[in-house]
Amino acid sequence: MLLNAEKVGRSFGETRALEDVSFQLDNGQMLAVVGPDGAGKTTLMLMLTAILDPTAGRCTVFGFDSVKQSAEITDRIGYMSQNFSLYDRLTVEENLAFSAGVRGIKGAEYQARRAQLLEMAGLSAFADRYAGKLSGGMRKKLSLCTNLIHQPELLVLDEPGLGVDPLSRRELWQILAEFQRQGTAMVIATSYMDEAENCGHVLMLDQGKIVAEGSPIDLKKQCADKVFELSSAQPGSLYSTLSSDPAVNYLQWLPTRLRFQVDALERLAAATQEQCRLQGELTAVEPTLEDVFVHFTGADQGNQMVPSPAPARLLEIGKPVISTHGLTARFGGFTAVDTVSLNLHAGEIIALVGPNGAGKTTLIRLLCGLLAPAAGELEVAAVDVRRKPQAIRSYVGYMSQSFSLYSDLSAAENMAFFAGAYRLGGKKKAASITAVSRMTGIDGIDQHQRAGSLSGAIRQRLALACAILHEPKVLFLDEPTSGVDPLSRYHFWQLIQLLASRGVAVLVTTHYLSEAAYCDRIGLMDRGRLLACGTLQTLCQEARLAEGTSLEDVFIHYVSRAAAEREQAT
Amino acid sequence: MRWGRVAVVVGKEARELWRDRITVAVCLLMPLVMLFLFGYAINLDVEAVPLAVVDQDRTPQSRALIGRFVQSDYFRYARDLSSVREAEAALLRSRAKVALVIPRGFQKDLVKGMDPGVQVLVDGTYSATALLVAAYANAIVVRFPTPEIERVRAEYRIWYNPAMRSMNYVVPGLYGVILMAFPPLLTALAIVREKESGSIQQIFASPLTSREFVAGKLIPYAMVAYLQILMVIALGYFWFAVPFRGEPWLLMASSAVYVMTTVGIGLLVSAVTRTQLAAMLLALIVTLMPSFLFSGFLFPIFTMPLALQLYSKLFPAGPFMEISRGVVLKGADLESLWPNLLLLVLYTLVVFIIAAARLKKKVA
Repeated sequence: MLLNAEKVGRSFGETRALEDVSFQLDNGQMLAVVGPDGAGKTTLMLMLTAILDPTAGRCTVFGFDSVKQSAEITDRIGYMSQNFSLYDRLTVEENLAFSAGVRGIKGAEYQARRAQLLEMAGLSAFADRYAGKLSGGMRKKLSLCTNLIHQPELLVLDEPGLGVDPLSRRELWQILAEFQRQGTAMVIATSYMDEAENCGHVLMLDQGKIVAEGSPIDLKKQCADKVFELSSAQPGSLYSTLSSDPAVNYLQWLPTRLRFQVDALERLAAATQEQCRLQGELTAVEPTLEDVFVHFTGADQGNQMVPSPAPARLLEIGKPVISTHGLTARFGGFTAVDTVSLNLHAGEIIALVGPNGAGKTTLIRLLCGLLAPAAGELEVAAVDVRRKPQAIRSYVGYMSQSFSLYSDLSAAENMAFFAGAYRLGGKKKAASITAVSRMTGIDGIDQHQRAGSLSGAIRQRLALACAILHEPKVLFLDEPTSGVDPLSRYHFWQLIQLLASRGVAVLVTTHYLSEAAYCDRIGLMDRGRLLACGTLQTLCQEARLAEGTSLEDVFIHYVSRAAAEREQAT
Repeated sequence: MRWGRVAVVVGKEARELWRDRITVAVCLLMPLVMLFLFGYAINLDVEAVPLAVVDQDRTPQSRALIGRFVQSDYFRYARDLSSVREAEAALLRSRAKVALVIPRGFQKDLVKGMDPGVQVLVDGTYSATALLVAAYANAIVVRFPTPEIERVRAEYRIWYNPAMRSMNYVVPGLYGVILMAFPPLLTALAIVREKESGSIQQIFASPLTSREFVAGKLIPYAMVAYLQILMVIALGYFWFAVPFRGEPWLLMASSAVYVMTTVGIGLLVSAVTRTQLAAMLLALIVTLMPSFLFSGFLFPIFTMPLALQLYSKLFPAGPFMEISRGVVLKGADLESLWPNLLLLVLYTLVVFIIAAARLKKKVA
């Protein structure tokens, strides 16, 4: 047995980060630890790495006690922490050489492994580049390489996919798969359920305790016949019926259908069953790990924070709210946004997906009027932004990547500040703060708690609340769901749909390709260009891919097609 | 401790430091700035003190005495007053720092062989200069020729700094202060920066031991600090014309040890703090402040109360200043300075061991 955790617990002062966690790992196994923000994943990773002592129970790695023999453990493992842990002033090569030197790998052995790892990570061409100048995805891959240079028997990874674009994430997992084949055991903390699917074993953590454990197949079996999809011509009325039925869990409104969990169909109220039969087509579907996770945790999380359900959304394609033509942004010689033409209509949700550095954030900054375009036309609400950049400020709401809240101010103070910044005052200010907090479900929290101490999911909603206080017609959300657990993410999407149903046009960037299902159209971006924009169906058709191809594959198809075109051109 | 791994850390640290050009520039410039500012600003010499004269005698002898004062360079004739009351007013308004009162009958008493008294009023608000002024005035008055009376006279010889140039002892003292001010400040950020960025977790989860890590950090920073002290010593000799009476190698070797001590203190601060801000503040409190107050740089230790004398032993700037002033001014050799050097070696070892012990390879 490689790793054995026996009733491991850890408290930080009064807070119990982890309690009574026991599990084992054999040579060459791959274990995923999943759970929401604050579930105790990082604490567990630190204890397995022997750099944090448990306050209860014990943990042995390679048979060595993690407290008394920690040096024996750290000699043999690799650990990739959640934050970037490279030295920015060292080059790719030097970072790798440092890590090798520390572990006594040198000479021909180092050269061979270095070449192999850089090749696998696609970093061979960047060996002399400073780590500080790499993209997020490349940095993650390099971090991984520095932890694989000594071919550890056990690799501990904390959120390897966080903030990494789909392409780099795929490469990252290819490297992991290769090393697993060679016999490296891995423990991977993740909030991406699709990453957990790749692992032989899954441990689900919630509030510091194990809620479920097993192989992905076994776990999904526990939810079999509990997940249903309902397609209907009148989704709106079905949605309200289902959402008011206490037996229904995790009700999702996807563009073409409704999806929900229920322990057994018979548990639904008779009237609900009747309406489902009459108005739609009900099918049991294969549960995903996300369903399993919600099944085991959704009950405790309670529904008190769930915002009111989105009413029926009828998309009327009228005059676009935003219309761009050949929009371009340059920084020096670098073209960050390259001739993007895009229309966004009232009540429409568009997702922008693409790797780090594809130009998503820059495009949003252009559309907000925060950045002057180098070329192209941009009209927001029929106002030419190039002439009157100030005029659009009151039309748009913007939520930036890292939730730009003041962490030393309380929730209420943050909202009051942003309301003031949008020149709301007096009764209007109070009314809009009340309305927005009720809508986003943050009226339930302690308004005097500092924003910095709120959980990721609550901060996310508070940031959204601050962005919509002035009732914008257009809302830009830059990676609003990064690092937030599935259930909170889902609730957040409900909110976005609610806003869209009130006629707000929404443009979202995301790394979670699965979230594109909540959107009307998907824009694929790479190297500053908008490669395509349409529904998943039209994207598949245009690329002559089979219907039902996953968005990830569609995306990779478009990106490689664009790369091939570039190569032909040169 | 595996030296191969230490060398790897040294290489990494040296590269990071060298590529941080702004920091390197600040490191090399700040000691020079401090040397110039303090070398010129701290001047305890007494020159041209404004002197008010109340001459109630108005005779050739009284004028001769006043002449002695004015010719001494220590005093500058500021004004002639007619009464003691006016002299008081002049001192109060800082128009004069010293008043010389020569009573009526001064010459008559001198001729008769009686001991005539003169009064010297000194503004004592700056007690250090007041003492000097009083002593100079006394020396002039005592040596004023009294051919009829033979007195016991002391012959003064000021050794080591016969011109009593304050620059000669301020500058070698500054060597110790500057080395205590900048290297620890720079080094204090060395470990804490990795704590803030999170890269320290990677170090913890590796075979590197705390000692290897601390030693690897110490060496490049000590080299920068050594460069600083060489610059400062060279400037002291060539620019400030401070004499160099002893063996250069002794000062160089002691500096090498002292540099390890000060950089080690910086690392210790870095090992016990969590943020760069806290590290900088703590470094200032434990290094700069005591190196001014408790090193004998300006305020002699032997005049302090016993408790503070013992307290001052906690800081290594004192022994180094003994060495630097000893070598530079007295031409002292190892035989007389070895206890100070031994103290520095002990400090370095203790600081290094505590720093490595305080840096546990655990995140909490």
